[in-house]
Amino acid sequence: MSQVDIQNLSFSYGDTLILDKLTLSIEAGECLVLLGPSGSGKSTLLRLLAGLEAANSGHIAHKGQPVTGASRDRSVVFQDYSLFPWLNLLENVRLAVNKAHPSLNRRQQKDKARALLDEVGLTDALHQYPFEVSGGMQQRAAIARALALEASLLLLDEPFGALDPVNRIRLQDLLNQVRQQQGKVFSTVFVTHDLDEALWLGDRIAVMGASPGHLISVHSVPKKKERTDRDHYRHLVEVQALRLQIDEALASDVLRRLKVEEVSSNVST
Amino acid sequence: MSQRSLSLPAARPKEKHHAAGIASRLFLGRESLIVWLVILAGWYLLTFQNDASRNPLLPSPWVVGSALLQSLPELLSSAFASSKILIPGYLLAVALAIPFGLLVGTRIPLQRAFIPFARVAAPVPPTVYIPYAIALLPTFHLSAVFIVFIGAFWPIFHNTALGASSTPQCWKDSAKMMQLGRIEYLLSIVLPASLPQIFSGLGVGLVFAFILLTIAELFGATEGLGRFVQIHADYANYPQMLAGILFTGAIAASCMSGLEALRRRALFWYR
Repeated sequence: MSQVDIQNLSFSYGDTLILDKLTLSIEAGECLVLLGPSGSGKSTLLRLLAGLEAANSGHIAHKGQPVTGASRDRSVVFQDYSLFPWLNLLENVRLAVNKAHPSLNRRQQKDKARALLDEVGLTDALHQYPFEVSGGMQQRAAIARALALEASLLLLDEPFGALDPVNRIRLQDLLNQVRQQQGKVFSTVFVTHDLDEALWLGDRIAVMGASPGHLISVHSVPKKKERTDRDHYRHLVEVQALRLQIDEALASDVLRRLKVEEVSSNVST
Repeated sequence: MSQRSLSLPAARPKEKHHAAGIASRLFLGRESLIVWLVILAGWYLLTFQNDASRNPLLPSPWVVGSALLQSLPELLSSAFASSKILIPGYLLAVALAIPFGLLVGTRIPLQRAFIPFARVAAPVPPTVYIPYAIALLPTFHLSAVFIVFIGAFWPIFHNTALGASSTPQCWKDSAKMMQLGRIEYLLSIVLPASLPQIFSGLGVGLVFAFILLTIAELFGATEGLGRFVQIHADYANYPQMLAGILFTGAIAASCMSGLEALRRRALFWYR
C-alpha cells in the first residue's frame, strides 16, 4: 500500500478551480517532487496533503487514514520563513520536540533540539534569533523544526525559492544528506518550479500543468548512487533524456492553454 | 558535515533600552531641548513685563517654578492619591481586555457576537458615564476606577483583537502543524504575535486613563492631581494651578516612557 493515496482530488477557491481531479500516490520513503509553473496548484496540493485546507471533492489518505486536518505525522517547511521570531532557533525547534516528546523534561527536549540543529549545521547559532541570521540559516532551522516532529511525511513548499544560488545548492545537498542519514523513515513531497532542483532531489517527478491545476505526467528519476556529484549526474544521458521529456510535457501544456485562451477569446468576440 | 564549517554572520548587537535613556531622549534630546527652550523663552517674553497683580492668569516661569517647588510635597501626595485610582483601573482594563481580545480575535463566532456590541459601546465617550457611575457606585473612588477602566479597556481590547485576528498565516500554519493546544496556541503564538498591536492599545489606553482620571477628580474628589488643579483654579491661585498641570504632564510622560521602554524590551524581535 502507498504511504499517501490521492484520488480524484479537486479544489476551488470560490468559483476558481485550482486543482482538477488529481490522482497520485506517494510511496513510503520516496521523495516526490511536484514540478510545474505558477498557478498549477502545487502549493495548494501540498496544503491539502498537510491538512491545512479541505478538498471540495475526491480524497487523500495518509497511511490508509483519510486526511481531515493537520497532524504531527505530516510536517511542513514553508517558503516564507515561518520560524517564530520571538524565540531563538533552539527554542523554535524545542517547541516541536515538546510536541513529539511531551514526556521528556525541558533539558532533554533542548538536547534533542540541539542535536537536530547540529545535524543541519547550526551548532553555532543555537541562541540566535531568526532576525539575526540569514535566510538560508532560517530555512535550515525550519527543516530541523520539521524533522523534530518525527513525521512520516515531510512536505516542503518551495523552501529554497527565496535563497541565493549558493545557499540553494547547499540546502539541496543538506536535504539529501538528512534523508540519507535518517534512512527511509519518512517520505518527502517537495514543491518547486526548478527542473534542476527536481532532478537532483526527486525519486519521482510529478509534472503539473496550470489553468486549472492538473497532473500532466509522472516520471521516475534515474537512481543516484551517491547524491554528491551534481555536475556528473546532470550530464548523464538518461537524465538529459528525462529533462527533454519533462520540458516537452511542460511546453505542450503551455501550447494547450494558449489554444484554449485563443478559442475562448474568439467565442467572446 | 560541510555545513558546519559555514561561518555565521555576526549577530546584531541587541539594543539595550533603559527607561532613563528613553526618558532622556524624549525630554532632553537635542531636538526636544530646542523646543523646550523656545517654549520657555516665549513664555518668559510674554510675562517678563507682566504685573502679576494686573494679570494673575499668566505668571512667569520663575513664579510657576517656585510654586512647583513649594507645592512639591502636596503634588507628590496628590500623585499618590491619583495612582490609587489609575493603577487599579488601568490594570483591571489590561487584565480583562488582553485575554478577551485574544479570544475574540481568534474565534469568528465570538467576533460575530461581540463586535456589533463593541461598535456601539466603544465610541461612547467614557466621561458621559461619570454622573451615572457616581450615582451607581457606593464611593467616589470606585466610580473613578470604573471610569478609568472603561476608558482604557476599549482601545486595549480593540488593538488586541485586531492583532490576534491578523496573526500571519505562516505562524498559524506552523502552530497547526505542531498541533499546539488551544491555551498554548493563544499564549505561545497569538499573544507574542499580537504584541505590536497590544502595545499600541496600551499606549492609547494609558493616555485615555490619564485624561479620565483628571476629569473624574474634577467632579468630586477630595485628593489627587485633578483635585489639586481644580482647587487652585477655584481660588485663582494660578501659579499653583499651572504647577499642577505641568506636574501632571510630567507624570503622564514618565508613565508613557516606562511603557515605551517595556514595549522595546518585549518587541526586540519586531522589525
